[in-house]
Amino acid sequence: MRPPVPFGQYVPIDSPIHALDPRTKMGLMAAVGITLFTVEGFMGLGVVASMLLVVIALSRVPWHLVTRGLKAVTLLLSFTLLAHALRWEPATVSLVRLGPLAIDQGGLLQGLFFSARIVILVLGSTLLTLTSSPVEITDGLTRIMRPLERLKVPVGDIAMMLTIALRFIPTMAEEAEKIMVAQIARGARFDQRWPVSRARAYIPVLIPLFVNLFKRAEALAIAMEARCYTGGYGRTRLHQSTMTKTDISVLLAACLVLAVIAVTL
Amino acid sequence: MQSIPTRILVEISLCVALAVVLNALTLLRMPYGGTVSLVMLPIIVIALRRGVFAGVTTGVIYGLIELMIDPVIVHPLQVVLDYVIAFGAVGVAGIFRTVYLRTAEANSRSIRGLALLFLAVALSSALRYCAHVVSGYIFFAQYAPAGQPAILYSALYNLFVPVSAIGVFAAAALTLPALHSVSLSRARGLNGGQD
Repeated sequence: MRPPVPFGQYVPIDSPIHALDPRTKMGLMAAVGITLFTVEGFMGLGVVASMLLVVIALSRVPWHLVTRGLKAVTLLLSFTLLAHALRWEPATVSLVRLGPLAIDQGGLLQGLFFSARIVILVLGSTLLTLTSSPVEITDGLTRIMRPLERLKVPVGDIAMMLTIALRFIPTMAEEAEKIMVAQIARGARFDQRWPVSRARAYIPVLIPLFVNLFKRAEALAIAMEARCYTGGYGRTRLHQSTMTKTDISVLLAACLVLAVIAVTL
Repeated sequence: MQSIPTRILVEISLCVALAVVLNALTLLRMPYGGTVSLVMLPIIVIALRRGVFAGVTTGVIYGLIELMIDPVIVHPLQVVLDYVIAFGAVGVAGIFRTVYLRTAEANSRSIRGLALLFLAVALSSALRYCAHVVSGYIFFAQYAPAGQPAILYSALYNLFVPVSAIGVFAAAALTLPALHSVSLSRARGLNGGQD
């Protein structure tokens, strides 16, 4: 039994979208989000969707990976669509009628509009995580939050914690797997039906995991301090990401186009 | 300027990593999305070991990582509520730190210790549930036609949180007393300082 190593969905390919600075991509994502919540008609959504399709094509990420994110919202999507389209004893224009239940035309259109908005949002955010690694996103996030340092927000520490956590996810998964295999060898079972009995089955895995975690934390903290780590403030990076001219022009151009769409459509 | 001692910073980071792994070890998948897992356990453990600040920080960092790894974004407010506030709120369990550690010091398997643990899990799950329900309410209120019971939909949709809480309490009640003798007690009396 192998616990799945949940390490993001990043697809390392060489594409113009991958080459963009994570800050540019996050900025674009925010701009797309704002535009989606301002446009009022299908026209606006259509333009944003086609822009997104071009970006997806440029990123050269396989389609099935981009659309995988939609699985998680299948229920929300069908709810949105059905809640709007279905009418009980309808008074308005109905397309299909089934006893007292009917599909309402206006409602269907509205449901489609809202669903399309969700689909674009989900695809956009999935694309962001497909084209930038968690480490890049952390880096971008830290740079964006830098001004908060003036308000005494420990941005450097947050960056350090994100980085260490990301680094240790595979290590933890591996350790969990090792302990689980060892317990299975001793007759443990992790396939019970009920969540409580399953949670109880994990006890002989959890205790060594936590004990090792705190031991490892001690060793790591000592190692960091022995190397003169004195907090995240003012730390520099070996691989500094920079906003290139391309980044700035892409960001400005896209924001301009999105602003026009948001205002006019 | 160092605001978080290195030792605590590292513990928070490793607990976040463990939470990500536990989230992947699903206990039960709800038929309509949402999973029952022990993801809250490491956040509650660090909250009881190091206090509210460390607990909330662990929750927030976990939320951010979850957002990077597997984002589901349907509304801007939903992102903040579902990822940052919901998990940050789990760390509030740390308000029981002093009294729990004192009780566990005397007898880590006492009924009182168990009751405190129950309160800690119940409080943090309730807060997380509230955050998810509000987020769901915003979603359903926005996307369901007017006049529909959005809050009811949301409360039902997020039922996986109370179900998780039962599993987390079962795991915590059996794990923490054993851990106490090894790890928890060493953090006591240091008041957030370094060893």
